[in-house]
Amino acid sequence: MSDTRVLDAEIAAAPGDVQLAPGQTLWRRTEPALLGVGSIAALLIAWEALPHLVAMSAGTQLFFTTPSRIAVTLWGLFASGAIWTPLGVSASGFALGLALAVLVGLPLGVLVGRSPTLNAMLDPFITAFNATPRLVFLPLIMLWFGLGLWSKVVIVFIGALFPILINTYEGVRNADRVLVNVVRSFGASEWDIARLVVVPNALPFIVAGLRLAIGRAVLGVVVAEFFGSEAGLGVMMVQAAGRYQVDTVFAGLIVFAALSLAMTALVWLLEDRLSGWRPQRPSNN
Amino acid sequence: MADDGQPRRSFVESHRTLVVGCGSVALFFAAWQALFLIVPFNPLFISKPSLIAEGLWALIAGGDLAHDLAVSAVPFAYGFAAAVAAGVPIGIIMGWRARVGYALDPLLTVFYASPLVALAPLVIVFFGVGVAGKAIIIFLLAVFPFIFNAHAGVRTVDPLLINVVRSLGGSEKDLYLKVIVPSVLPYIVAGARIAVGRALIGVLVGEFFAASEGIGYAIARFGDLFALDKMFACILVIMAIAVALTEGVRWAERAAFPWRIGQ
Repeated sequence: MSDTRVLDAEIAAAPGDVQLAPGQTLWRRTEPALLGVGSIAALLIAWEALPHLVAMSAGTQLFFTTPSRIAVTLWGLFASGAIWTPLGVSASGFALGLALAVLVGLPLGVLVGRSPTLNAMLDPFITAFNATPRLVFLPLIMLWFGLGLWSKVVIVFIGALFPILINTYEGVRNADRVLVNVVRSFGASEWDIARLVVVPNALPFIVAGLRLAIGRAVLGVVVAEFFGSEAGLGVMMVQAAGRYQVDTVFAGLIVFAALSLAMTALVWLLEDRLSGWRPQRPSNN
Repeated sequence: MADDGQPRRSFVESHRTLVVGCGSVALFFAAWQALFLIVPFNPLFISKPSLIAEGLWALIAGGDLAHDLAVSAVPFAYGFAAAVAAGVPIGIIMGWRARVGYALDPLLTVFYASPLVALAPLVIVFFGVGVAGKAIIIFLLAVFPFIFNAHAGVRTVDPLLINVVRSLGGSEKDLYLKVIVPSVLPYIVAGARIAVGRALIGVLVGEFFAASEGIGYAIARFGDLFALDKMFACILVIMAIAVALTEGVRWAERAAFPWRIGQ
């Protein structure tokens, strides 16, 4: 009895456990990609087909849209040029806030990582601000900076600052003590240690922090524009939702997602360039 | 504690980080309060700690704070519970059935990468301004850490343990209950830490958009009324809750899975 059970379990084994037959190799290699693309395609097709299969009341149709209509709307936004002004407003808030976060977060992270006293002093604030959703400060920031560009920049800044700061700190703490001692023995100043050992060593951490920060920054732009702005993609989306133009809301979402993916790809490129000297990365020769 | 022969250190020496940390927080509030001895104080744009403490006391004594927190807690509880109930099984199945993982991983990554908060206006239009709409926003934000962490956790399960259970005639159910769930649990708790923060964002987004009560609504309303002392009081309360929740999960992690410290 127990024999058959074991056999059953063997058949039900995860695919990775099974020995490959030679003819199966191509299928095995392409299967993940095919299944992944297939599931996305299946979802889109099902979504597109839904209104043809199910009768909807006029009220539901008002809230409903299909991928093809979203694509047409998106194309229309770009073709008519209507998207460039809001996109420009959103992108400038995003870029300024993120740049400020890097300018402040990197040096501060290095300092906090190198100085135990500074670390003990700032740790309660960093923990508290990192745990708190930045959104709670939005009404206050709107009060202080108004409805224009700067309140958006500040929201993006405080959202993006902490991932960069914390990851830089972790990376700096991770620096090889022997290397630091060697450089110091040769008479390096604290600045030299940071420049020669600590920062290059922390680079993968910093890049990971930057990737997190991009996601937070996009979120910050969306949220700031939803609740306190006069122009931008988020404003366009809220107004469209109010007019039941569901296609435009999804079109805006796609543009935001594309922005975030493009920035993430840019960070990957940057990482490849900056860490080309790393011997442990075989992909860079 | 027994004397272990080392020279006794004073409290200040042995808890240096704690002392410096508390000191810097106290210094921060003192400097904030003292600032207005020099700078003219404009209550329309800034508040000071003494006034904030008074505002906080008024909110607590009047019962407003407890009421708002109770109102906000309902969609939070529903959304978070749904995120656990949906996210963990999906993640486990994705990790265990490789084909399901292949099929769902890209799709979920796309969803995770897009700022889902942007769908909040639509969710409110679809589901209304009540508990349902907010719970769905919270669910959408909080579910992904559970899925991805459960997925990652299953992939690290020791194959040796699986083979042992199988060799001894264990069923598929035994595998899930005796091997997979216990080794995935630490990952799920780590995911919960991330999800708590995202769920709090969901609470605030939902209440900033459409609400007539709740802690997020209170912050927005006090801001509109220029009642900065009460607004700061609510912000501090949310900060305290956020820290308590994340640090609480971290503490639970350390207490329940001490071998994972440093991972």
